[in-house]
Amino acid sequence: MSDLFSATILTAVVIAALKMATPLLISAMGELVAQRAGIWNMAVEGTMLIAAYAAYVVVVLTQSPGLALAAAVLAALLTGAINGLLCVVLKLDQFVTGLALNLLAAGLTLFWFRAGLQGEGVPTFRSLSPIVEGPFAGLYPMMFVALLAVPLIWWFLERTRPGLELRCLGENPEALDLRGVDVRRGQILSLLFASAMTGLGGGFLMLAFSDRFVPDFTGGRGWLVVVAILAGNWRPGRVLVAVLFFALLEALAIQSRVGSSLLPEQLLLAAPYLLSLALMAVFRSTSLEPAALGIPYRRR
Amino acid sequence: MRLTPRSERAIAWTLGCYAAAVVAFLMLSGLLVLSVGGSPQAAFSALLTGALGGKAAIGNTLAKATPLLLTGLAAAIAFRARIWSIGQEGQMVFGAITGYGAVLWLGLSGPAGIVVALVAGMMGGAALGLVSGVLDVRFKINVIISTVLLNYCVGYLLSWLLQPGVWGDVGQTVSYQQSAALADSLYLPLLPGLAKVHLGAVLALVLTVVVGVTLGRTRLGFEIRGFGLNPRAMVARGVDAGRLVLVVMAASGALAGLAGIGHVLGETHRLRPDALAGFGYTGIVVALIGRSSAPGTLAAALFFGGLAAGGLTMRVVADIPSSLVTAMQGIALIAFLLAEIASGYRLVLPVREEGTPA
Amino acid sequence: MKLLEVLGLSKRFGATVANDRLTFDVLKGELHCLFGENGAGKSTVSACLTGFHRPDSGAIVFDGREVEFATPAGALDAGIGICRQHFSLVERFSVLENILLGTERRSLRFDVGRARARFGELADRLGLAVDPDTPISRLSIGERQWVEILKALYRDVRLLILDEPTAVLTPAESRRLFDVVDRLRGDGLTVILISHKLAEVMAADRVTVLRRGRAVATVRPGEVTPAELTALMMGAEPPPATARAARTKGRLMLEVEDLAVPGPRHGFRLEGAPLRVHAGEVLGIAGVAGNGQRELFDALVGLAHPAAGRVTIDGRDMTYASPAERMRAGVGSIPEDRYGDALVGDFSIAENMALGWHRSARLGRAPFLSRRRMADFARTAIERFAIRQAGPATPARALSGGNAQRVVAAREIERARHLLVANQPTRGLDVGAVAFLYDRVVEAAERGAAVVLASEEAEDLLGLCDRIAVLFKGRVVGVVDASATSLAEIGAMMAGRPA
Repeated sequence: MSDLFSATILTAVVIAALKMATPLLISAMGELVAQRAGIWNMAVEGTMLIAAYAAYVVVVLTQSPGLALAAAVLAALLTGAINGLLCVVLKLDQFVTGLALNLLAAGLTLFWFRAGLQGEGVPTFRSLSPIVEGPFAGLYPMMFVALLAVPLIWWFLERTRPGLELRCLGENPEALDLRGVDVRRGQILSLLFASAMTGLGGGFLMLAFSDRFVPDFTGGRGWLVVVAILAGNWRPGRVLVAVLFFALLEALAIQSRVGSSLLPEQLLLAAPYLLSLALMAVFRSTSLEPAALGIPYRRR
Repeated sequence: MRLTPRSERAIAWTLGCYAAAVVAFLMLSGLLVLSVGGSPQAAFSALLTGALGGKAAIGNTLAKATPLLLTGLAAAIAFRARIWSIGQEGQMVFGAITGYGAVLWLGLSGPAGIVVALVAGMMGGAALGLVSGVLDVRFKINVIISTVLLNYCVGYLLSWLLQPGVWGDVGQTVSYQQSAALADSLYLPLLPGLAKVHLGAVLALVLTVVVGVTLGRTRLGFEIRGFGLNPRAMVARGVDAGRLVLVVMAASGALAGLAGIGHVLGETHRLRPDALAGFGYTGIVVALIGRSSAPGTLAAALFFGGLAAGGLTMRVVADIPSSLVTAMQGIALIAFLLAEIASGYRLVLPVREEGTPA
Repeated sequence: MKLLEVLGLSKRFGATVANDRLTFDVLKGELHCLFGENGAGKSTVSACLTGFHRPDSGAIVFDGREVEFATPAGALDAGIGICRQHFSLVERFSVLENILLGTERRSLRFDVGRARARFGELADRLGLAVDPDTPISRLSIGERQWVEILKALYRDVRLLILDEPTAVLTPAESRRLFDVVDRLRGDGLTVILISHKLAEVMAADRVTVLRRGRAVATVRPGEVTPAELTALMMGAEPPPATARAARTKGRLMLEVEDLAVPGPRHGFRLEGAPLRVHAGEVLGIAGVAGNGQRELFDALVGLAHPAAGRVTIDGRDMTYASPAERMRAGVGSIPEDRYGDALVGDFSIAENMALGWHRSARLGRAPFLSRRRMADFARTAIERFAIRQAGPATPARALSGGNAQRVVAAREIERARHLLVANQPTRGLDVGAVAFLYDRVVEAAERGAAVVLASEEAEDLLGLCDRIAVLFKGRVVGVVDASATSLAEIGAMMAGRPA
């Protein structure tokens, strides 16, 4: 136990936590935008998975992480477009749509992955590498992107004209409709943005964490993103705190596997989920949930 | 040409939508096979053979359909009440855990052991379902979120239980965990004539009838159906919404729990993380495609059971990964949902009437 | 000089004709009132004028040019603005954010400095002291009304439609509103006022009376009496001849004392003398919908939690009793929103009839629900309530409005051994269905139930009820004997003038 508190271990844990937080945070900022616009984007897990898989395929083929990231975003955008068609245009129930897309993503990635391994060894690829020298050694550029996204999204939502309109989509879309603003377009764009961000997160997850893809690669991280939004009460700053908290727990869990620890690894891994439930139960009173979240807008 | 919502369903159009969905499903699945360099024809024929070609195949289909039927029913009763519980996966595993654990702890064997295991499994699943129910009723936590989170928690619980010190089997490897095997006397008996089909299938069929009768002919079923269609009117006419949610979540969890322990007793005879994987989520697809009705769920479960059975044959014969079947599930669901939506619309063609400007 | 001409405007929603070849015009600078009951078509025509709906036929000529608005933005750009009756405000946003919503669509950021200056200017002009950064959720209803008006004025509209603007204002606030409107008219604004209040109507330059989607007449208030206007609005048809036979008053069935029920607009508040209804008695609740009927109804049925007061039904304190308890005690209720609160659209008639009865022994032995008994129950109801062209298996959403209401009525009147509560039960029904329903209600009273029936059709209540209580802004303006009052008196009370 004492070795946990040594400076090197602590630094390692913090850096690992930051690294784990990065994909979650990027995806969460996107999802936050979608939810503030009134769409329950339940397909985060599936989108992230497809994006990770797309990144994997492209990086194996081209050995270029940059192209792979682009592919991840594109794959995610495609998923988001389908989601938008089903949820916003056809006004299918948003929960069912999200579930269906998750299942489809899981099935497709599993199938293509198994089909791709035709008896050869698992292809490895050049992962994203952290900064090698200087004060920021060990950190990834994407981490800064993720952290920067938080104030940027905040500024966009709270201090710009399109941000105001977007927030209105989630609170009272009719108010916008009455002023002649296109509700459908706004919601689809928000959903596409959210998907793109999740794609970026999924791509980073693939390229920075592993040298191979496995089925169920995302392992519930997409759901943690949704939980982080709830736990963060739909505010960018608090979502950041929630994400960092989850990431720290996961980093501790990994550390406990390597070193010795009081708590079983599984408990630490389950901790984000359990604590989220507990927190949601306790801090329910002043919910800032967007008033029109999940309600497909129909003109009366 | 426009799409406008239609006020009432027309049978011909609805059937056409579903037919189109089936065609789309086959085509997209075929495309998937082509995308990995396989032959759709070989794949589909292998699927058919594996699902329906002979007594062994049918036995396989039924065996694979059994857990899907139970998790499908679990999802169906919740969805019927518009409670979007997706916790069947976790409730199923938890049921397996509690059933197995009860037998281990009480040191039972034989028919008594089987009964206790089954009951404990159902109670375990019900308890987990109730947790989400209470979180919803009392704390207003979204059921989808809580059930998904609990799914993952149960997964971690199983992983911990399967450690060498706890329930882990002697001599297991690090990468492949499993528990000690159950005694022979705790095996669910196989049905005569149909290899691989165990008593669990009969239980599942019986419960299908029970669920069907409950939904269609009892007071509780009436409340469930009405609540799912118009909760406001039901509450206005005296239905206790909180109580109903708890009852439904408990029943749903119990069915899922039975799926888990039934599969353990009938097929795997031990706890393994991979053996149960996916039945819960597939059950959701089964329920949605079966329109959350008992007979529909049965039909969908048989269909997906057939797909799963055929998948194994397909891997051997046509060299296509059996996980095609998993992908096909997702395609089937989306195609089905689109058909649902499409059948609620009508195609309006511009018509020029004599004498009136268009 | 005509600023606006509406020529033969027609608009229907499904089977309902909301506007029927509506024709009227508005002169520049005038205060033009559209006067009519709920359902007369006022909201629809203003929705068409502001681009929210497209008229099926007819023309709109604004400032000499025929216009067609594809979206509400088009109407706003042309200079037509509206303050709707149901505010379109975002609770979480501040006053300024609500006003700025939808403006400056080409910029990334709002010019906040200029916006605040403009806001300050407008607020001063209206004599308002509202902090632009206050969230709407913290404003009173009257203040929110001002924000709605500011929203429209901020857009430099030339024609402003005010839809029932004083519905939620105190008399003092209403006076100030009209002062402001006068001042704005002096600056060149033209105003269409939609109202059902006589006092406001009489203060307009011209009035167009709407009834059942048509413009019945356009008059100058100076040339008609209030009574004539009311007659034009309500139509000269005689009330249906539902005989008010002498019914024997039985024991006290319902007593409402000091009841306070909160609500989004006025809520309901009873002060002073309690409301009492005896078995065999019919108490009418007159008033335009939205003046507290919903809250009173919910308190009687068990769907609202009163903040104060007492509801006693057949001697038992049922102030906080659940709907299930009240149903067991013989209380039947016909709510305002039949497909929202009384029927399950996808259920059959038989299943809908079973709502609330499904746990009783008459429909099956626990835990079962006998389909046969449900069908029999439904058939009896279908026969007794003359539900035509439908059987026990017909889904409720396939029924006409009249038939759907008959199902609800059949079920609830059967249940109402002691008390029947109905809120706008005849809305949307044709004359025959209305008369039939009232006959059944009278039967229920004769059987010994106390009846509380809220309706906007005052003349119906006159023919049906023993006494009539009039609601205005959540309070009981007066309770009068039906045989000793007149339509004019009730109309005046409905519009805010106490008895």
